[in-house]
Order: sequence, then C-alpha cells, then structure tokens
Amino acid sequence: MTGASPIPAAGAPALETRGLVAGYEPDLPIVRGVDLSVASGELLVLLGPNGAGKSTLVKAIAGVVPIHAGTVSIGGRDITALPAHRKIGAGLAFVPQTENIFATLSIQENLQIAAAVLPKARRAERIAAMYAQFPDLAVKPARLAGSLSGGQRQMLAIARALMVDPPVLILDEPSAGLSPKIVADVFSMLTEINRAGVTVVLVEQNVKAALAIASRAIILVEGRIGHEGAAQDLLDDPILARLYLGTGQAMEARRP
Amino acid sequence: MNPQFIMDGLVAGAMIGLGAIGVTLTYSILRFANFAHGEFLSWGAYLALAVSGALGFLATGLTRPIAPFSFGWSLPLALVIAIFLTGLLALVLDAVLFARLRSRGSAVIILVMASFGASLALRSLLEFLFTSKPAYYTKALQIAVRLGGGLRATPDQLLSLGVTVVVVVVIHLLLTRTEIGRSMRAVSENPALAGIAGIDVRRVIRFVWFIGAGLACIAGTMTGLLVQIRPYLGHDLLLPLFSAAILGGIGSVPGAMIAGLIVGLSEAGAVQLVGAEWRSAVSFVILVLVLLLRPRGLFGRPA
Ligand SMILES: Nc1ncnc2c1ncn2[C@@H]1O[C@H](COP(=O)(O)OP(=O)(O)O)[C@@H](O)[C@H]1O
Ligand SMILES: [Mg+2]
Repeated sequence: MTGASPIPAAGAPALETRGLVAGYEPDLPIVRGVDLSVASGELLVLLGPNGAGKSTLVKAIAGVVPIHAGTVSIGGRDITALPAHRKIGAGLAFVPQTENIFATLSIQENLQIAAAVLPKARRAERIAAMYAQFPDLAVKPARLAGSLSGGQRQMLAIARALMVDPPVLILDEPSAGLSPKIVADVFSMLTEINRAGVTVVLVEQNVKAALAIASRAIILVEGRIGHEGAAQDLLDDPILARLYLGTGQAMEARRP
Repeated sequence: MNPQFIMDGLVAGAMIGLGAIGVTLTYSILRFANFAHGEFLSWGAYLALAVSGALGFLATGLTRPIAPFSFGWSLPLALVIAIFLTGLLALVLDAVLFARLRSRGSAVIILVMASFGASLALRSLLEFLFTSKPAYYTKALQIAVRLGGGLRATPDQLLSLGVTVVVVVVIHLLLTRTEIGRSMRAVSENPALAGIAGIDVRRVIRFVWFIGAGLACIAGTMTGLLVQIRPYLGHDLLLPLFSAAILGGIGSVPGAMIAGLIVGLSEAGAVQLVGAEWRSAVSFVILVLVLLLRPRGLFGRPA
C-alpha cells in the first residue's frame, strides 16, 4: 500500500492542531497560527485574556467557526474538513460556553439526541450510564432542560458530550456564571472524567481552580500561544500570570 | 343568521391549517418567511391534476367516481405521487436558490426577497403551462348531505376534514415521538448546537422542505377539489396561511391547525356579517392583532 495511512500512528497526540488560522470573516483571522498538541490522557487548561480567541480556537476545532488554514487531527486522523456533525463520530466532543443544551427539549430528549450518533443497540445502555454518572438528571428525565439550574444545565451539557464515550472532550468555560460550590462540583467531575481516560481541554477564566486540576497550561494571547508550561509553574509564578492574564486574573490566581 | 357558515369556515380553515403547518415548520427551521410557500399549494394542485389526468388516460376505470365522492381512484393515487413531486420541487428550489444564499450567509431580507421572486416565477410558469382558466379534478356534481343543526356538507368536504385530522395527528406524532422530529426541534432551537451534537442540519432542512411542500400539496389538492384549481390558488391563501402560522405560534403544529380553523371561521363569519368583500381583510386584522398583542402566538414559546 502506498500513500497516507488512515490508521492512527501509535502515540499520536489525542488532539493536534498545526498552523491553525481561523475566524468569522475570511479576511479577519482571530486565531493566528496555533500549534497545539495534547497528549492522550492529559488535562490541558487554555487560559488567556478576554478576547484572546480561546472560544474561537475551540469552536474552530469543533467545526463551527471557519478554518482558513492549518489542520486539526484527533489521534493522528485529520478531521479538518469534516462537517461539525461528523466530528463527534471522529472522537471529538465539545461543550460550548453558552446555549449548550436544548432548552425546549426534555432532559431525556437532549440525551437521546446525543445518543442518536451511536449504533441503535448501544443507545439505551449509554443513556443509562449517563443517568448513573449524573444522578441529578435521572430525577425527572421528562423535565424541560430549560428549567434546570445552572449547575444542572452544565451537567446535562457534559453528559450530552460524554454520551459517545469520546477520547477528547473540549469545554469552553464550564464554570461561567456558577456559584463556587457548583464550580467545585463541575471541576471534580472533570477530574474524574479525565482520570477515566478522557483527554480534556478546558478553556477557563477561573484560573486558580483550573490550574489546580490541570496538568499543563497554555496561554493564548491575541490568537497565538503566548506561554506554554506545566500548570504548577504558572500557579507558582504570579508574575507570569499577571503578564499574560492581566491583573484581575493574576490577583485571583494568588488568592489563598 | 345561517349556521352553514360554520361548516364553510371549518372546511376553509382545515385547508388553511394544513398549509400553515408547512409554513410554521419551514419558518421555525429556515428562519425566514418563505413567500413561495403558496406556490407549493398551487403546484401541488396542478401536479395532482396532471398525474391524475395521466392515470385516467392509462386506465379509464380509475376515473369512475368512488361513491359517495366525486372523484375516482386516479385522484388519491395522483395525490401520493404529487406529494413527492412537490417535495422534490421544494428541494430543487432550495438547492438552486436558498441553500446558496444560506451558505453565503445572506441576511434574512435577502432570503425573503428571493422567495418573492421564486413565487412570481413559479406562478408564471404554472399560468404558462396550464393557462389561467380554472380547472377541475372531476366533472361529477355532488349533493350536500344534511348533518343536523342546519349544517350541510358534501361527502368530499367531510372526507377532506377527516384527512386533515389524520394528517395533523401524524405530523404531530412525527414531531414529538420520532428521532427526526426531535432533530427538527433541536435544529429549530439552535442549529449550531445541533451540529455539535451530531445532527446533520442540512439533512433536517431537506426533510423539512419536503414535509412542508408535501403538506402544501395536500392542502392545494383539497382546495382544488372543493373549490377549483387556479394558478392563484396558493397565492390567494398566502396571507391566511401566515396569519394562522403566527397566531398558532411559530413551530407549533397543533397551534397552526387550531389557528387555521380560527382564521377560516372568522373569514366565513365576516362574510356572513359584513359582506364577502371583507373576507381578505380578516387574516390581515388577525395578523396585526397577534403581532401587536401576543407576538409569540397561542402556543409559541416565549422569545
Ligand atoms: N460571532 C462572532 N463574530 C465575529 N467576531 C467574533 C464573534 N465572536 C467573537 N468574535 C471576536 O473574536 C475575538 C475573540 O473572541 P473570543 O474567541 O470569544 O475570545 P475569548 O474566548 O478568548 O474571550 C474578539 O475580538 C471577538 O470580538
Ligand atoms: Mg470565550
């Protein structure tokens, strides 16, 4: 056989972008050449000031913002050209920051939609597994998702994404707008998911909490990677944090 | 006052309701008012006419009326085929016109204007092919039967009401109980999230075009059967269709049907009370009142 092999190379990164340029308008790149490599089993946190392009980057990876140049691959397989609805089948699950559940559908229907990409025989079992993992959702599955509390919505959004048992899970600020107690719940849930073997990419403003559970951190500045290193280093280095994240976030990072 | 207007209103309202279901579904998914929807009714009626003519030509026995109705088997068979052809027409129209505009990210007003143009072209084409002379599926006359309470209806009218009820129930179950129905509701709420969740949004859009046009074909054929077939059949129903879709609440199938009956009954009532020349004002008044007082309609979800 000649040509490119479709079989993922052993040890290929779980998620990789090469020279990724993306944005909403053709001549206005927001993400300006990002090389990202996330090893299998990692929990990577993506930080950066407001407007740095974090959301745009993850949305481009998920296929909902046009990619102008570069590639995205999952486990060594190039998925750049796949339409958004096929990325989930390729192993990439994405939880957007806002409007990440179908509010006019019931909890059960939200999960059924996620399960629809699975073979029929596996659907019931996976939905049951999600109810077991997120017992709050199992209380009243016929409830409209729009009537859930902020924390429960986030759980439903994560359950929806985990339905297909994806190797890679990307979340855009899952802690936004939640109380500290609920944030702690969400983060411990993410740690658990990561321990179970899912590679997690977490976009966060909640710097300290995110660094505490992450293994590695990337700081995005003006659409480019400004800093990359172990999460611990960033926690220990408030100057670095202030330099890249602005005073507000650096203060938060230092708060005991 | 003659209570017969209730029967007339119900029959007209059922046709409006069926057409309005198509409007409400396509509006909630495509997010623009498709002014060419009326032409799907007209095209559906003429396609059924052409196919039933062809079937009658091939097998004369098919035109023999099925008692007590005025038409033979050629018409219901033709209707099934015409539903598919009208659906196909909508898919072609989407592929050559609307899908291109969507992929270019065109503003809603551009889509609406394009639908005006499409409507004009489709109607002119019908006039060219079939002339503007009224046509009929059958020449058989029907005697209205007494229903009690001073109401009378022809068997064709009663059948149309029955078919409408069945179609509404089927579409409602499709939307609430099936996977494609769930996908339609998801796309209608949030197309971007639908894609992320693994729904092929373009497939759902094609499905909705097909269903909407198929329902228009049924409504158009029934109107053609109960009144007459004219190239302006659908165009003249456009305002009642949109009033009903908006009164019912965009996206609500039962809402569109109930609102269709309300519009039909109001029109018939207005004809009785103030005169036939006011018929077409009724839909307009209802539309304006709903937009002013309750923009989300009877069953629509709050914005
Ligand atoms: N839907 C959009 N259309 C056009 N520009 C956008 C859109 N969303 C965000 N932007 C722009 O993209 C830039 C990066 O935004 P974003 O990716 O949301 O940053 P972050 O998530 O890091 O705060 C900002 O300048 C913002 O104005
Ligand atoms: Mg953001």
